[in-house]
Amino acid sequence: MYEVDGTGALLVLFLIVLVSIFALFFPLAFIYSMLFGGLHQSSHQKKLLVREKRVAQLVGGDNVHTLSRPINLEKISQCGLVMTNITVAPSWWQLFIGQIKSIFGGQIQSYDKVLTYGRAEVMQRLREQALGEGWSEVINVRVETSMVMNKVKGGQQNKLGTLEFVAYGTGIR
Amino acid sequence: MTSNTETIPGFKITKSLGVATGSTVRAKHIGKDILAGLKNIVGGELKAYTELLMEARTEALGRMMMDGAQRGANAVVNVRFATSSVAGGAAELFAYGTAVIVEQE
Repeated sequence: MYEVDGTGALLVLFLIVLVSIFALFFPLAFIYSMLFGGLHQSSHQKKLLVREKRVAQLVGGDNVHTLSRPINLEKISQCGLVMTNITVAPSWWQLFIGQIKSIFGGQIQSYDKVLTYGRAEVMQRLREQALGEGWSEVINVRVETSMVMNKVKGGQQNKLGTLEFVAYGTGIR
Repeated sequence: MTSNTETIPGFKITKSLGVATGSTVRAKHIGKDILAGLKNIVGGELKAYTELLMEARTEALGRMMMDGAQRGANAVVNVRFATSSVAGGAAELFAYGTAVIVEQE
């Protein structure tokens, strides 16, 4: 017969609580991700469309472009670097779908959606920052992608699918 | 003045003073990491990382401009950024460009 003393019982109780928290939390979070992930992302996308329209009306076109020469401005008195970034990641559900799809290959729409949003958002931020800082045009715009926030452990990289987009260009006035 | 174009339109480069560089290594806070992991459930933007990386990149850019100023330049042209993962979640952000003296044409 084993005798269960006070500390042993406490330890067992603690372990049971810990395991049940994890056993409950992860499935619940996964279901939450499935139900609300798409909703959350599309609400951000709608907000982005409104902002894009507003800036287009304000500027009368686009104030950022990739040419190295100004289009509208004749005389430049000042210039400076304009830089914006965003970090995006697919939801748990999208990651799961992506992993299943990557078995068969082909287009993975669940990642596609997030990355498209990230690029559009970073460009919009560049436009807004240029307006806020008073630049009349942003020339030579470049968009870069980096995976800086990943742990490299046992050959498995980028587990969460976190990506950073950086957009930068030269603001002129 | 900083620019990522080779020349600044309307300005003339009179002297080149070499490559100005600036870098910073940042690691993420473990609390932020956990919070970002939770935010990751629904996907989309991870604001904590965005802010962290922006802060780091601004610092690298600031150091590059300090380097340029020490060389006696009044502008840094052709600025480029590079990022690399160093180890276990730490990232190096590196900015470099050509320190020059420019004059208005």
